[in-house]
Amino acid sequence: MPLISEKDAGAFEVFYDRHGAAAYSLAYRIVGERAAAEDVTQEAFVSIWRSGGRFDRARGSVRSWTLGIVRNRAIDLLRTRSSRTPKLGFDDEAALEQRPSGDLTDQEALRRETAEEVRGALGALPGEQSKVIELAYFGGFSQSEIAEMLSLPLGTVKGRMRLGLEKIRGRLAEELA
Amino acid sequence: MNEREHEARRDELAAYLLGALDPGEAAELERHLAGCEECRTELTWLRPAVQTLPESVERVEPPAELRTRIMAEVEADAQPKQAGIHLSWKKRLPALRPAIGLAVVAFFAAAVAGYAIRDAGGGGNATTVAAGHAPGVTAKMVREGDTGTLRLANVHRLPRGEVLQAWVRRGKRIESAKSLFVPNRDGTATAVIDDMQGVNAVMVTTEPRGGSKYPTSKPIVAVAIPR
Repeated sequence: MPLISEKDAGAFEVFYDRHGAAAYSLAYRIVGERAAAEDVTQEAFVSIWRSGGRFDRARGSVRSWTLGIVRNRAIDLLRTRSSRTPKLGFDDEAALEQRPSGDLTDQEALRRETAEEVRGALGALPGEQSKVIELAYFGGFSQSEIAEMLSLPLGTVKGRMRLGLEKIRGRLAEELA
Repeated sequence: MNEREHEARRDELAAYLLGALDPGEAAELERHLAGCEECRTELTWLRPAVQTLPESVERVEPPAELRTRIMAEVEADAQPKQAGIHLSWKKRLPALRPAIGLAVVAFFAAAVAGYAIRDAGGGGNATTVAAGHAPGVTAKMVREGDTGTLRLANVHRLPRGEVLQAWVRRGKRIESAKSLFVPNRDGTATAVIDDMQGVNAVMVTTEPRGGSKYPTSKPIVAVAIPR
């Protein structure tokens, strides 16, 4: 990232090769169309290039920061298309602020996780918990919208989100042990 | 802060990490977090669970063109890393105005003259024209129906803020082909000319980002189009 902040295009090429596929896959998972996923990925990477100097290692891993930006842009596109009021704008820096650094040991471990293992953690959740998590993270719905959509009390939605994330986190902790 | 309110905020940590709080709710939680170490600790503990979610997505390979497009934007924005790697032969012409359009035509005609032209006989409507150029830039123009694709090689990195712009000549008129592009890292570059009807020649100049109405520099390459 320091080289990218110095506008080293070669370093950025390596950066794209390392994270581009994961970014595109995430964008495609959210927007559901290849052309739109390409646009989202391109916008995200160009914005990262132009603001590369803003990245602060203390705030988290480069990968989670990158994928957070891709997710925000993809969700924003979804909301624009469906005329839903965006909760998040294009303020990637604000998103960054909301994702301060976690446990670096855990982040190293997460990098080693294979996609299948992670899918396993999500897939192992009861359907009612994975559903609210997926609607929020990949669908961009607020907890209130999810409650209305599923005809559930708001407190139930909050509880399922919390239980679901706690189980995923617990499973990660077991794998680290 | 009473215990009940603390529990209510604590219940929202997962939704906060998932981006599922409305802006007002998120702001209230952030105010609570500023003064609640217990919630901050739980938030830090839970965060890796959310960070695994994008990794859980089934991998879909992005098209190679996406990488090319992204790097084209990046290269166009990058500062030259070394002195002298730009198009050193290039000498800026003064901005050309419509009043001196005829001079542009003459210049363009001279640039095209003398290039070896070869009809590769690609079959059907496809025509390939090869052209050499003194600084080493080579070009291949492939025409298929009304569309043309100009492929350049050995193009040096551009100075920051400059792009390549394609132009076409129809009779005595020089028109922008509405194609701005930048060279890839390997020195190749591609421009698509949408309307080749009546085009006698295609050329490429370096222009300020955003393009120009008229060519403002010597062409790095010019290709005559056979009738």
